[in-house]
Amino acid sequence: MKRVSIFFAFLLISLAGFSQNTDRFTSLFNGKDLSGWMMPGKVPGFEVLDGVLVAAPHNGSELYTETQYGNFIFKFEYLLSEVGNSGVLIRCNPENPWGTGVEVQLLAPWTPYRDDLHCTGSIYGHVAVSNRPDETTGIWHTMEIKCNRKNITVSVDGKITTVADVDTVKSMQGKNMAGAIGFQSNHSKEGEFAKFRNVSVLNLDDDPDYVKKGFYSADADIRKQAGEAAVLKGASIIETLAQMLSENNPKAQAGAKQALFDIAARKSAVNISKDEKKAVEKAFKKSVKNSSSEISKNYLNWLLEMLSAD
Amino acid sequence: MSLKPKTNRRNFLKTTGMGIMGFPLILNGFSGVAPSDKIRVAHIGTGNMGGSHIRWFSAFPDAETVALCDVDELRLANARKLLVANNSSANPELYSDFRRIIERKDIDVITCATPDHWHALVAIMAFESGKDVYGEKPLSFTAKEGKVMLQSLKKHDRIFQLGTQIHAGDNYHRVAEIIQSGALGKIHTVRLWKTGGTSGLGFPPNETPPATLDWDMWLGPAPYAEYTPVKCHGTYRSFFDYSGGVFADFWCHIADIMYMSLHPKGLSSIDARGDIPNDGIADTPKWIDVDFKFKDLDVYWTTTPPDVPGADKMGIGAHFEGEKGTLTCDYDKRIISIGGETTHDLSEVAQSIPRSPGHQRNFLDAVKSRIQPESNLEYAREMTLPMHLALISFRLKRKLQWDSHKEEFINDPAANFLLSREYRSPWSLPVY
Repeated sequence: MKRVSIFFAFLLISLAGFSQNTDRFTSLFNGKDLSGWMMPGKVPGFEVLDGVLVAAPHNGSELYTETQYGNFIFKFEYLLSEVGNSGVLIRCNPENPWGTGVEVQLLAPWTPYRDDLHCTGSIYGHVAVSNRPDETTGIWHTMEIKCNRKNITVSVDGKITTVADVDTVKSMQGKNMAGAIGFQSNHSKEGEFAKFRNVSVLNLDDDPDYVKKGFYSADADIRKQAGEAAVLKGASIIETLAQMLSENNPKAQAGAKQALFDIAARKSAVNISKDEKKAVEKAFKKSVKNSSSEISKNYLNWLLEMLSAD
Repeated sequence: MSLKPKTNRRNFLKTTGMGIMGFPLILNGFSGVAPSDKIRVAHIGTGNMGGSHIRWFSAFPDAETVALCDVDELRLANARKLLVANNSSANPELYSDFRRIIERKDIDVITCATPDHWHALVAIMAFESGKDVYGEKPLSFTAKEGKVMLQSLKKHDRIFQLGTQIHAGDNYHRVAEIIQSGALGKIHTVRLWKTGGTSGLGFPPNETPPATLDWDMWLGPAPYAEYTPVKCHGTYRSFFDYSGGVFADFWCHIADIMYMSLHPKGLSSIDARGDIPNDGIADTPKWIDVDFKFKDLDVYWTTTPPDVPGADKMGIGAHFEGEKGTLTCDYDKRIISIGGETTHDLSEVAQSIPRSPGHQRNFLDAVKSRIQPESNLEYAREMTLPMHLALISFRLKRKLQWDSHKEEFINDPAANFLLSREYRSPWSLPVY
């Protein structure tokens, strides 16, 4: 009886943990320094003051996450000065942020007045807000940006302002489907600023099932995005991919075959740490054991041999 | 007129030193060759290139096609028709298993136009049974196979010609003469290109192989795979399990002119970039660009033509950059540019390289003379090696360092692993 209750206690704890995980965001800003971020420009554009991230220097460097995000919910609080001007860069390559990604605008509404295509919450120059947010300066607002494959949703203070289907926006064709998230430095005049706090992200691609679904999409861009997300995940998605290899579905088979190769290839490089490599090897070994198909077993074993070659 | 004994013909060639140039004279003597003196040929693999083999070898009075082999009954039947159409007296034996041809002692020569993953083993088994081989490009599926082929050829004293028929044309010989003459100065850069790449082929479902196709035999040493038509005839090069895409299809043709002219040595690094299609099951390059560093020579492969005059009109080509001038060519054209002047030939460069009597003729002559033909195995292996290395760099998505003496990658065990592939049972690559 005691054993049973211990078992249930564990079950409850793990269930609770799971439900917490599904809507648990990871903090991206520790309130102390810029660890996890990078400023590639020569002049720093950001500093941490009293636990708040401040963009004050004029024309300083933009600030980017070191991690790449494809599908995610990014949320934060912001406060703009009287004519403050900043923004959030999403799915961008910091070497060419506006060319590869897009900017969700953060802008004081005054002097001069900007239209719905260039105001706070708009995907700057690409998608106008359908529901203009409260643009009051000097107070804290919340923003949430959700990138769910080809759909981008922006909310301010809990209300949706902007909804975009990337496919229907001509000017967004060819944009990256994954990349860094960035804050634009103070884009207004000297003395203006933007402040940020409670910056956090929920990476949708952390969930192997979410990534897996991408492989079955009719859309080649989404399949490609899923493949790239899988390679970034590495060991934690090998089992899922190995099962897809044996599915009677050509998209699943081909996508998984390539992603598994790419994971093994990446982790076979000599600069990969032993621990990282071991974790991948372990996942491959397990997937060989669990695989019911000879074709899949052979392929997984071959990848394992490549990975373990010395 | 009957043929002189083989030893005499061989001595004649050696003592006169005429080599290939002497053959037009000898050819005149071939009309009415006695059946017993004919070179007995078998064609293995009778698809597109196999059909060309049938036509080409039918045209020689001193060769007789006695056997055809294909794992696809329908192709085999068509091949027989094609042979008879080219030679009404032909009466070939038909085989689905090439080992029955290998076993026959009365066959002198095989030609191989199988998919790439079979090239090496068919040639090696032919060598071991005392046959000479005209084999399609690319030479082999893996780099290691090329090595073993060469060992086997030497051990069994055989003749091999790679099916790079462009090699035999006048243009390649003339380009090599011009480059080697020094008229363009020392060549420091070569740009090679071939437009186009693998297309995705969609997501067709797996099927039961047709009863007329021996799919297991088609796969042979390759890993077992479920069947779908696009993996097989015509488009198999779209898959890394059997080939390496358009790049692997055309490398041997255009890298040939670079090797013929410069024979670059000391390859030290290979850096490939590119992408695979995302609209189907194909997994070989949609595009591939590669930077090769040889000793004193930079070589670039691109999927789009380089930005040099005339290249945009060539779907495939080579561009040589020397200290004094440049030469841009494809299979049958060349543009020479020296000091702003453009021409198609340099009269001051004398003809120095004997012309080929034709690629297949050159092979049959070699079979008789026992002097290796122009695209012999030693040459073909060296020329094909960078292609294998580039595809490994492409697949691993990283720049690779190469030790050209040891013939292995430096500090990259996974890359070295991909230099070979274990064969599926019961097939095995011999160890010499």
